[in-house]
Amino acid sequence: MRLLIVEDDASLASGLRRILEAEGHAVDVTSRGEDAVLAASQERFDLVILDIGLPRMDGFEVLRRLRAAEKPMPVLVLTARDAVEDRVRGLDLGADDYMVKPFAMPELTARVRALLRRSQAHGGPRIVHGPLMLDTIARRAFLRGEPLELAAREWAVLEVLLAKTEKIVSKESIIQAVAGWGEDLSPNAIEVYVSRLRSKLEPAGIKIRTVRGFGYMLEEFKAH
Amino acid sequence: MAARSLRAHLLRMLLPPVAALLAVGALVAYYPSIEPATEAYDQALVDIAIAIGAQIRSTPTEYRLDMPPTVEQVLRTDRYDTIYYRVISPGGSDIAGEPELPPPLGDSGSYDAVFKGQKLRLVSVPTPCGRFACTVLVGETMVKRTRLAREVLVYSLFPEVLIALATLLIVWFGVKRGLSPLARLSEEIKARSPGDLRPIDAAASPEETRPLVSALNGLLEEVSQSAQNQQRFLANAAHQLRTPLAGLQAHTELALAQPVPDSCRAHLEHVHEATIRTARLANQLLALARAEPGGRGTPFEVNLKNVIEGEADAWVHQALARDVDLGFELENAPVQGDAPLLREALANLVHNAIEYSQRGGRVTVRTGRRGGQSFAEVEDEGPGIAPQERERVLERFYRVPGTTGTGSGLGLAIVREIAAGHGAKIDIGDAGGPEGTRGCRVALTFPHG
Repeated sequence: MRLLIVEDDASLASGLRRILEAEGHAVDVTSRGEDAVLAASQERFDLVILDIGLPRMDGFEVLRRLRAAEKPMPVLVLTARDAVEDRVRGLDLGADDYMVKPFAMPELTARVRALLRRSQAHGGPRIVHGPLMLDTIARRAFLRGEPLELAAREWAVLEVLLAKTEKIVSKESIIQAVAGWGEDLSPNAIEVYVSRLRSKLEPAGIKIRTVRGFGYMLEEFKAH
Repeated sequence: MAARSLRAHLLRMLLPPVAALLAVGALVAYYPSIEPATEAYDQALVDIAIAIGAQIRSTPTEYRLDMPPTVEQVLRTDRYDTIYYRVISPGGSDIAGEPELPPPLGDSGSYDAVFKGQKLRLVSVPTPCGRFACTVLVGETMVKRTRLAREVLVYSLFPEVLIALATLLIVWFGVKRGLSPLARLSEEIKARSPGDLRPIDAAASPEETRPLVSALNGLLEEVSQSAQNQQRFLANAAHQLRTPLAGLQAHTELALAQPVPDSCRAHLEHVHEATIRTARLANQLLALARAEPGGRGTPFEVNLKNVIEGEADAWVHQALARDVDLGFELENAPVQGDAPLLREALANLVHNAIEYSQRGGRVTVRTGRRGGQSFAEVEDEGPGIAPQERERVLERFYRVPGTTGTGSGLGLAIVREIAAGHGAKIDIGDAGGPEGTRGCRVALTFPHG
């Protein structure tokens, strides 16, 4: 994947570049917002990592221009400020995720992976999660290349979880996404579908974690 | 404080002039009313003297008082006072009556004197005796005059005292009433949260208090300006501090990912650990500074449930990294406050709970309402905090003796600071874990409303 890092701190920028290169990405770095806007207009990037505190043209402005030019790639915003207004402003301007400095590198690489996965899956006919593949057009699922039988409701729940890998999905939002008009689906029913999904997916190493009192989270797939 | 009471001060200032006015008023009323009465009594004495004078018989050789005892008895009878008389011949010798009765010093017809140890009021009336004039003195004790004077005094003082009392009452309640806009103003200021630096509405206060209000607003403006400067400084400091720390962290992690000799690796690991600790410490110091009065934003209605739902993702990942089962029991818990600070407080509590949990331990975050008050609490199954340590753990940089881990001792101090800013109470208690661990429950209970 091709990544653009916009960060004016040379030390952090080089560190990020090396780490993301080690993950197998092609990484370009610029320290100026103007250059970032120009580069994005001429070349295609799969993801932009954007610092807010840039000299002259700040990260908010870069983000605004990228979105105004209808650049669809995900943008991960980095900031040294934790003021909630900054976060809200960033997300309003179309940032896809937000990290406060300093951060642990494994967390950064995990978020980059999640963003790339989501953007690849977005609108595409196939959703891939480790050994699991969903063909959304044929509505057929495969696990380790073998066809996997899924009931309609199980499919729907799985789709919701896959769309938000590594994020907590509340039971209510699953109910909203799964239940048709006028249907009354109880939280207990969702539990049943999740437990059926678990028994089908866990042998392949795919884990759906229960967050007590909240909902579920499809964990990142880690090959052993 | 009595010395500073405006009311007492006003009363003290008013009391002497009111008292003086009272005295003057009483005197002014007293003399005009006592004089006619006194004159009437004197006139009665003169009448007696004339009646006695009419009983004097004069011959060329002598003067004689020819008064039948019944007449004398009638003349000398009085309800209250004893009446004395003395008749003196033109030559100056006594004809009748009490020879000791003192004569007037001058020519005045009526006078006061002392007789047999008593004060007397006397009149001296010249009475024709043949070709000359005898003198008849008639005096009486002062009983009814004293009585009259007292009554006149009381009747003239009574309305004065009433007026004075009314004045004092008007001052007492008038000051209170007059100052009620000030009282309202101070109520309004008292009701504010410490971080609320908005100007006071000058239009809502009476004209007399406007200078005070505008002076206060000037002060508030300055305070809020300096708070904003401080916030700007903090934001800049945060940026300056955090960016290089992020770089340092990235590079140590990169270095550790390389094949390095073991002797070097140990050092690198120390550097990495120290970097992470420093980063967390920097974050906490900034949070602590933000939690101080100048750093608080305008309070809004915040639902603790929503604050937690917004952070749950990050916390669950922290919990997963330590194999801790993080769960939620969230009910609506509206409070007035600063959302980022509340998030910081709760994040510190959850971080502590995860940090001190065993692998596989449970941590539960709960919000809701109890007895009309919103609360948020975090419960773990860790070692807990002994009762004697519960006060001290809230102090800055205090760590329970024997504690391991990377904490700085600031987390709970931040929670305390933020709780104080929101008027919330912190309770630390046991939660009771499995296998007899004490467990820990830290609850924040917010004020009614």
